[in-house]
Amino acid sequence: MLILDQLNKGERALRLLAWMVAGCLLVLLAGLARVQVLARHRFELSQQTQSYRTVRVPALRGKILDRDGRVLVENAPRYRLDVFLEDLSRDFTKEYNRLRRELLTARGAGAGPEPGLFQRLASKFRRKKAPTLISPQETEMLWRQARYQVVSNVVAQVATRVGMPLTLTEADLHRHWSRSRALPLSVLRRLTPQQVALLTEQSWAMRGVSLELQPARSYPHGSLGVHMLGYLTRADDFEDDEDEGAFDYRLRDYRGASGIEAAFDSALRGVAGAKSLLVNSAGYRVGETPVTDPQAGQNVVTTLDLPLQSIAEKALSTVNGDERGAVVVMDVRNGDVLAAASAPAFDPAEWIDGITRERWTNYYDVPKRTPLLNRVTQGRYAPGSTFKIVTALGALERGLDPDATYRVEPNPANPVKGAYFLGRQKIGDTAPPGDYDFRRAFIRSSNSYFIDQGLKMGFDRLLETAHRFHFGERTQIQLRPKEETTGDMPEPGDAKAERWPLGKLANFSIGQEVTVTPLQMAVMISAVANGGTVFYPRLVDRLETGDPLSDAAPDRVRPGQIRSRLDTRAEHLALLRAVMRDDVLDDEGTGKAARVKDFQVCGKTGTAEIKGNGFKDKVTWFASFGPYESPRYAIIVMVESGGSGGGTCAPVARQIYEFIRDRAASPGRAVAINP
Amino acid sequence: VTPLPSSTLNPRDTGIEWPLWTAVLGLMILGAAFIFSATGTQELARNTHWLNFTATRQVFAYILGAGVVAAIALVDYGRLARWSLVAYWLSILLLVAVYAFGASRHGARRWLDLGPIQFQPSEFAKLAFLFALANFLSRPAGELQSRALFVKALAMAALPFVLILKQPDLGSALVFLPMALAMMLVAGVPRRFLVRLLGGVGFVVVLILVDVLFAPPGWRFIKLEEYQRRRLLVYFNVDFAPRGASPEERQRARLLQRDTSLNVEQALISVGSGGIAGKGWRQGTQHRLGYLPRLGAHNDFIFSVIAEEKGFLGSLTVLGLYGVVLFSGIKIAGQARDRLGRLLAVGVVTLLFTHVFVNIGMNIRLMPVTGIPLPLLSAGGTSVLCSLVALGILQNVHLYRRRY
Repeated sequence: MLILDQLNKGERALRLLAWMVAGCLLVLLAGLARVQVLARHRFELSQQTQSYRTVRVPALRGKILDRDGRVLVENAPRYRLDVFLEDLSRDFTKEYNRLRRELLTARGAGAGPEPGLFQRLASKFRRKKAPTLISPQETEMLWRQARYQVVSNVVAQVATRVGMPLTLTEADLHRHWSRSRALPLSVLRRLTPQQVALLTEQSWAMRGVSLELQPARSYPHGSLGVHMLGYLTRADDFEDDEDEGAFDYRLRDYRGASGIEAAFDSALRGVAGAKSLLVNSAGYRVGETPVTDPQAGQNVVTTLDLPLQSIAEKALSTVNGDERGAVVVMDVRNGDVLAAASAPAFDPAEWIDGITRERWTNYYDVPKRTPLLNRVTQGRYAPGSTFKIVTALGALERGLDPDATYRVEPNPANPVKGAYFLGRQKIGDTAPPGDYDFRRAFIRSSNSYFIDQGLKMGFDRLLETAHRFHFGERTQIQLRPKEETTGDMPEPGDAKAERWPLGKLANFSIGQEVTVTPLQMAVMISAVANGGTVFYPRLVDRLETGDPLSDAAPDRVRPGQIRSRLDTRAEHLALLRAVMRDDVLDDEGTGKAARVKDFQVCGKTGTAEIKGNGFKDKVTWFASFGPYESPRYAIIVMVESGGSGGGTCAPVARQIYEFIRDRAASPGRAVAINP
Repeated sequence: VTPLPSSTLNPRDTGIEWPLWTAVLGLMILGAAFIFSATGTQELARNTHWLNFTATRQVFAYILGAGVVAAIALVDYGRLARWSLVAYWLSILLLVAVYAFGASRHGARRWLDLGPIQFQPSEFAKLAFLFALANFLSRPAGELQSRALFVKALAMAALPFVLILKQPDLGSALVFLPMALAMMLVAGVPRRFLVRLLGGVGFVVVLILVDVLFAPPGWRFIKLEEYQRRRLLVYFNVDFAPRGASPEERQRARLLQRDTSLNVEQALISVGSGGIAGKGWRQGTQHRLGYLPRLGAHNDFIFSVIAEEKGFLGSLTVLGLYGVVLFSGIKIAGQARDRLGRLLAVGVVTLLFTHVFVNIGMNIRLMPVTGIPLPLLSAGGTSVLCSLVALGILQNVHLYRRRY
């Protein structure tokens, strides 16, 4: 080394010193190289883990629209008041120091001036140091208290401005502080426009508090179509998400709990984004950078027809205002569900923030009412006399002569009514005794006539006819499978059903012993009306991108998907349509209450009797389509505990048909909905 | 005032050791820049007057120090050395004064509060000791063979050592040991004495460590401050929880261990995450976000800030600059005109080197955490002044090397 060469030869000690210095500097160099070059990735990683937090940012949820693009469910801006803890951290320290001083004063120490020279010298001779006056636990409590004082002060000031009580408990704050310190604390979630105005007009600026705008699910039509559209609940766990890996925090997100919201949840929800928060050593947020932008969810365009849906619900509510029932309106030409109402309904908005236990027990968890039940797809009801359409079709295919008459004997107990005698068993009839041909039997809904036909046809043939309408199977409407029931219909070859006694078969012929859903009924009526095509019902027409600038092609669900054909002679179906028309048109018909001027409604009433242990109830039906000349709409009305199909349900259908007629007469006019 | 020596031998030689002062200037620039990086953002946010910025105060300390260097250069070190005993006893007096009524900060009593300025006598004591020992040892080689003289020299070191240890400031106290050893070695004190001293010190250190680290509470004869003990436990990676501790005790001990090792960990993360090229000046996140202790980032842990923001290349630069300073010092020692000059230069080199090694070593966990500043880079007036005075002594030895 140059410098060493300049040293005197005799300076061995200096040489030694120089080598030692050089050696130690090399040790430092090696240490630095190890930390900064070899292990740098490890330290970079730990630096990032400790100073960054990733936050899941939910995407804007897609809208749900009706078939003409009218909004059914959307997002509305909602104002929220947030407290930013990092802006208050200095106040926390100030308040902590104040509290600490107070505590020390209360304990009579530390409050006086600095001890003088004499005391300090004197204290040298005392062996023991003064004990620490505040324990670590107390310090922790003081900090908690200080934070709460500061935040609740701020919150109280806001409260007086907006004129409403705000409650924030120390436990709330502490939970937020210890779990998600880097995120703002929401103190007020649903600010009314008036409150926002109060806050903004007073040129209001308060440190640590700000108004945040956030989209919230909005239901412009309230509970309209709620069973089909569905409602949302808070999604706090993301177990069902595959690639929602390591997030430190997740902003509040929602998940569809029922209906379309649930069935199309992933399309509606979009792809969550992420942002990364820079946090300081105290855990407060210092800055944030977006990592990936959320991709807005797709809009779901349904087959529903908003005015029709609205009128259907209104019509159903005219039964008695507290009815339990369902209405389905289907396009018989392709199986599109135009309206589907289930009563009682509920307000989906109240699920956004979670409902109270009280509300649950008083409203939702009431036996028989069960507002959450989608009666259109989940309700299982004996079809009663509406099932005579199936029996009739089977009989006609078997070669029934429609003009042949059948004599119905009077009921000995009530000679005005008829009865059917099966051995020693008597099955009562609502139709009077006398001679019935097919048409009269149908429009008077003679039980005896159809029992006779059913028994002649036999179990297998009747069941086979029912299965051609796919009773006993899900219609596969685009809801989650668990939101649809199959109904109760024996499988073909069901050994137990094969051994049904004749009495049971007799009941089966007139729509007892089995159950169907209103939607299945709509599919059946559509098949009769359209000349024999059984469609898969369609509820969703297409998925559209939520981005108005994007020109991505919508994801369309093919309309009119045929499930099967009835494979029967057209004249049988024509005859059925004709007698259904007569049921409404003929003054003797059970469905005459559905008669509409200038619009030929065809229908069949039904009143199924349910006998259980000590209770007796009725399910009333009106299964119809119209107009007769060129069938287009199938309307099913079902009311639980109604009076009779013709008395309770037919008027409901009539109102809907009237609406359809009026709308067709003035196609350009906007129709007032939800008056 | 001694007249400056005329450079008759080489008219172009001004007597200034240029490599040394260039490196010193480089260190000063780095110091000011990175102290600003570590403290400026906060001070700007707090609307501190620019004159009160830590970096500005550091620059004033540099300027003041430069003046002191110039003043020292005016007087031949031989003449200065005559006052060495006075300075030594004055420093002892000051250390006692600190013990009696020094200002207490973070549990240690190290400062004398003189109104507007605060003064750390241990720094002054190092310089006074340097002069006194150099003066004491610069005597004929024969006398140095005596055991009595060796013991006396040891006693000279032991007095300030104990007083500073009592403050408590273990780091500063330990600096006296290598200084004494190096100076005695170069002076020509018999090797066997030094080897024995080293062996004895080593043995005692091991005993102390074993006692501190492993003895049960009742058997601890060495009374260390609790935080000192914890730092040592962390450095030697000894479990805080005593054997047979209950789960709660173990839990509490683990928390304590985490808290204590936090500074070390964070310094290491700073240095390591700087990587090769660093994050850029004022771009370091570790000190800005408070992971590096706010109170230490600009002084004891300034090296972490530099290493994070300038990476391995920055560390290399710092080491290089210190290398130039230290080897210039050794060269000056070799060229000194007499034993006093040589011993002074060796003392200065050892003093600076110990600080550099312990401080940088602490940042990469090579050394336990002690409050030893990095010469010229760490913020702090006393430290800067003393470093510059030490360098002034080097320059003085260099300047008067040809006056025989």
